[in-house]
Amino acid sequence: MIRFREAVIVALLAVRIGNAADEPSPQFVAATAARSVVKIYGAGGLRGLEAYQSGIILSPDGRIATAMSTVLDSEGIDCVLDDGRRFEATLVGVDPRRELAVLSIDATDLPAAVPAEGRAAAGTRVLAVSNLFGVAVGDERASVQRGVIATVVPLEARRGAADAPYTGTVYVFDFTTNNPGSPGGAVVDSRGRLLGMIGKELRSSAGGIWLNYALPIDEVLAGCEAIVAGGGTTATAAAAPPFDLKLLGIVFVPDLLDRTPPFVEAVLPGSAATRAGLASDDLLIAVGGRAVGSRAAVERAVGAIPAGDPVRLSVIRAGTVVDCDLGPRPAAVDRIAPQESVP
Amino acid sequence: MSRLRGVLTFVVVMLGGDAMPWGARGVAAEPTRAEEAAFLAAVSQVAAAVVRLEPVAGAAVAGAAGEEAGVASGPSTGLVIDPAGLVLATSFAVPDTAREAVVVLPDGRRVAAKPVGRDVPRGIVLLKTEPIPTAPPVEPALRRSLLPGQWTIAVGRGWSAAEPSVAVGILSAVDRGWGLAVQTDAAVSPMNYGGPLIDIAGRVIGIVAPLPAEPAQMMRGTELYDAGIGFAVPLEDLLAVLPRLAAGESLAGGILGIGYRSRDAINGDPVIASVRQGSPAARAGLRPGDRIVAVDGRPVRRVADARHAVAPRHAGDEIAVEVDRRRGGETIRIAARPTLAATLPPWRRAILGVVVAAGDERDADAPARIDWVLPGGPADRAGIAAGGIVASIAPLGDAQPADTQPGADAVEAPSSSALAGVVAGLEPGQSVRIGVRRGDEFTTTDMTLGEMIQDAPDEPPPPRAAAVPGGGADAVRVSRLGGADVTLPPLVVIPPGRGPVPVLIWFGVPHGAADEAEAAPWKAAAAAAGVAVILPGSRERREWSGDDIGGVARALESLNALRPVDATRVAVGGRGPGGVFAWLLAERLGTGCRGVAVLDAPLPARFTIADAEPGTAKWMLLGGGGDDAAARRRATDRDRLARAGHAVGTLTEAADGGPPTALLCRWAAALGLL
Repeated sequence: MIRFREAVIVALLAVRIGNAADEPSPQFVAATAARSVVKIYGAGGLRGLEAYQSGIILSPDGRIATAMSTVLDSEGIDCVLDDGRRFEATLVGVDPRRELAVLSIDATDLPAAVPAEGRAAAGTRVLAVSNLFGVAVGDERASVQRGVIATVVPLEARRGAADAPYTGTVYVFDFTTNNPGSPGGAVVDSRGRLLGMIGKELRSSAGGIWLNYALPIDEVLAGCEAIVAGGGTTATAAAAPPFDLKLLGIVFVPDLLDRTPPFVEAVLPGSAATRAGLASDDLLIAVGGRAVGSRAAVERAVGAIPAGDPVRLSVIRAGTVVDCDLGPRPAAVDRIAPQESVP
Repeated sequence: MSRLRGVLTFVVVMLGGDAMPWGARGVAAEPTRAEEAAFLAAVSQVAAAVVRLEPVAGAAVAGAAGEEAGVASGPSTGLVIDPAGLVLATSFAVPDTAREAVVVLPDGRRVAAKPVGRDVPRGIVLLKTEPIPTAPPVEPALRRSLLPGQWTIAVGRGWSAAEPSVAVGILSAVDRGWGLAVQTDAAVSPMNYGGPLIDIAGRVIGIVAPLPAEPAQMMRGTELYDAGIGFAVPLEDLLAVLPRLAAGESLAGGILGIGYRSRDAINGDPVIASVRQGSPAARAGLRPGDRIVAVDGRPVRRVADARHAVAPRHAGDEIAVEVDRRRGGETIRIAARPTLAATLPPWRRAILGVVVAAGDERDADAPARIDWVLPGGPADRAGIAAGGIVASIAPLGDAQPADTQPGADAVEAPSSSALAGVVAGLEPGQSVRIGVRRGDEFTTTDMTLGEMIQDAPDEPPPPRAAAVPGGGADAVRVSRLGGADVTLPPLVVIPPGRGPVPVLIWFGVPHGAADEAEAAPWKAAAAAAGVAVILPGSRERREWSGDDIGGVARALESLNALRPVDATRVAVGGRGPGGVFAWLLAERLGTGCRGVAVLDAPLPARFTIADAEPGTAKWMLLGGGGDDAAARRRATDRDRLARAGHAVGTLTEAADGGPPTALLCRWAAALGLL
């Protein structure tokens, strides 16, 4: 009986939310969003890892999106709905690139989230709803926070020393969304439409700061559809290997430090670098318009350019920025012969 | 049942219950949407003036070391303040060591920029790059219009050169870092340092930056980015100095050079206790005893008011200081115009050549009584004898304001600490008029201060016990300090008498607990000079260890309970390993230790010698035997200490090879020499 009433409410909600001329209040939006968020309890507790996180109900028949994590490495995954009901969930599959997982629970008429269409812009007011720090105990409702979208950018982040596998666009927020327990939580706009799913804790590899971000809903839905259709995992795209710049005729100063500045030590005669006008003592600052802070970053950035595509480098020389076009990137060879001497 | 009721309520709300607490209709929603639109409109006003800054590898300390040093390792932000190509950024993103920076313009072009000027205390740098004609003019929000609670928006381009990032919050405080910054709860991070913090109308409140602080603490505040604490340097303050920055000036923080009588740095009376010699305050004629009543027209009622008025100013700025001064039983108002300095000349210790009785808690404000006059010292040569009370002291000479009589601006009846404050502000060779009262007799003497002496005096200042009948070695008490819980109670040799006593802590050869026989050679010397001598035990049999430091601190406390310790005359010393330990202990005690005397103990490696300043200057005695290398090492140590402005004399072994107890006690008793 209760389930029936809830189904009615969800239907009514959808009507109201769809009516743009009549804006719902923030309190109403918060309550609505929280109904689609579940608390997930699983494995963990080792090495300080949490044994809980969040999830979003995507369909009335029990499909739940959440973050792929060690919490799911468990025989029994428990989902606690907003109304306090507890279900054992089965793991349908994972998307390692998006670090996304789909769970299924045996229920019907659930209050599924209403996805937003298109992407929101910086400055948009949002609410985040999640099981942060596990403070919502028993049948208590998930926590609601407010803020704005700080920016919409490609994710450049690392977890420990490893780069994050997902490099697509994310929403970055101006408030602390990514707490322990938050991954898998919902971020909604001021009309209650689901903008994205809170991701796992990551540090920006550009600025070194902790990130507060969410995977946009179109990525979440695409990932979930693929998981459900394939029923399994998708392979992680292998990172391109670093490219040896000697193949373009650039010899760097020896790479002694973690972040050796990419000063050009010498330019090989007759090479693409010579033709492009590079000279020794030039300091590389960007590859294809993206800033590079070290020799290793240069090698990774050139490695990510497909063979045959143009290589454009920016250098700083005598206080001026000079752009150099080195022509198409040659195919990498497995290894430079170690005996090769440096001129 | 309760859930069912909740559901029914919900349905009522859905069907249009406007009066229900959830407020389903848009009463609260409209301001939310209006605010969102206002945020975006404000951002669009400044967006084209916000540029991305990229770190230039090699220009700064890179990587983790760079993060520790408080310099950026990632992209950051700048604000175009003049379309001719002037960009404001932070010293965090463009440190002193950087010769250039890379600016990414809104159209995606990368251009080089050169630092041309800096506001050092605010951590702001002005960069010059090529003209950016697309940058709109920025309008500053006036400081006096700011109110905590108003909307603030931090705009940056550290995330993306193409699109500005937006962080919304409120103004948390309008005064931080002694007026150098405002505070916001908008989420700021090194990614948007250098970007503008704007108000809801798009006016620029300030430049987002770490909390301004000493250069050594430039990191202060950068770790607060996800704690809801951010700072911005008001643009209005930066516009005031923009022409100087553009002209290539590096603006340092301004030093006035005064110390206050009150220990309360906030609510204390703004009465000057000391004026640093050679400081802007000294050159402008400010005097110990002056009460500051206004700075730059702002009334000053307490120490914090004066600090707030001076802290935002730069070296080279002239400030207007008004003080009240007692002169001839009246209070007169004096206006001084010191020009603040970036640094102070090294302090040179000058002496009158007297030791005054240290006031204990009961008579801390009692006028200073001259206990002893250094034979052959400046006071002795001027004919001043021991036993009188200092009734007045007034500097004579160049710094005297032209409209006053010589000696008119005297400090009347100074306490011993007030007298020390006056003397600390004077230089060797400077003259004073000193009034001494001896019973009903009052004499005025003009004298010239001399250089600090280096070796211990040949005779000690008389102990306070002189008046006690039956004084002498027999009246000396030898006790063990600390209760039963102290595992190694140090021995202490306490001279007879009452009142504050100088203390020497001597570390001999470590051999476990100190035994009574060790105290014997100290008794006569301690009685003659009125000095308490602490002989600690060592926890380890063969060496002094860090564990023994805590024991010493407790020993000083226990002694203070038996007999008050004269904090201006605490010395440490030792021989060999004990001497090395004494150096470390002196470093640990800081201003609580005024003298170090060692035999055969070179300065430990990485020992930091603070430059001598009033209150921190030490008197050292070095000595010992050994080969030529040891003597050369001692000479090097002596040079280092003397260059830092400390007095350094010679310590000679006693004839029997033991510690030179008489010399050490004479020296410890004379540590308070003024």
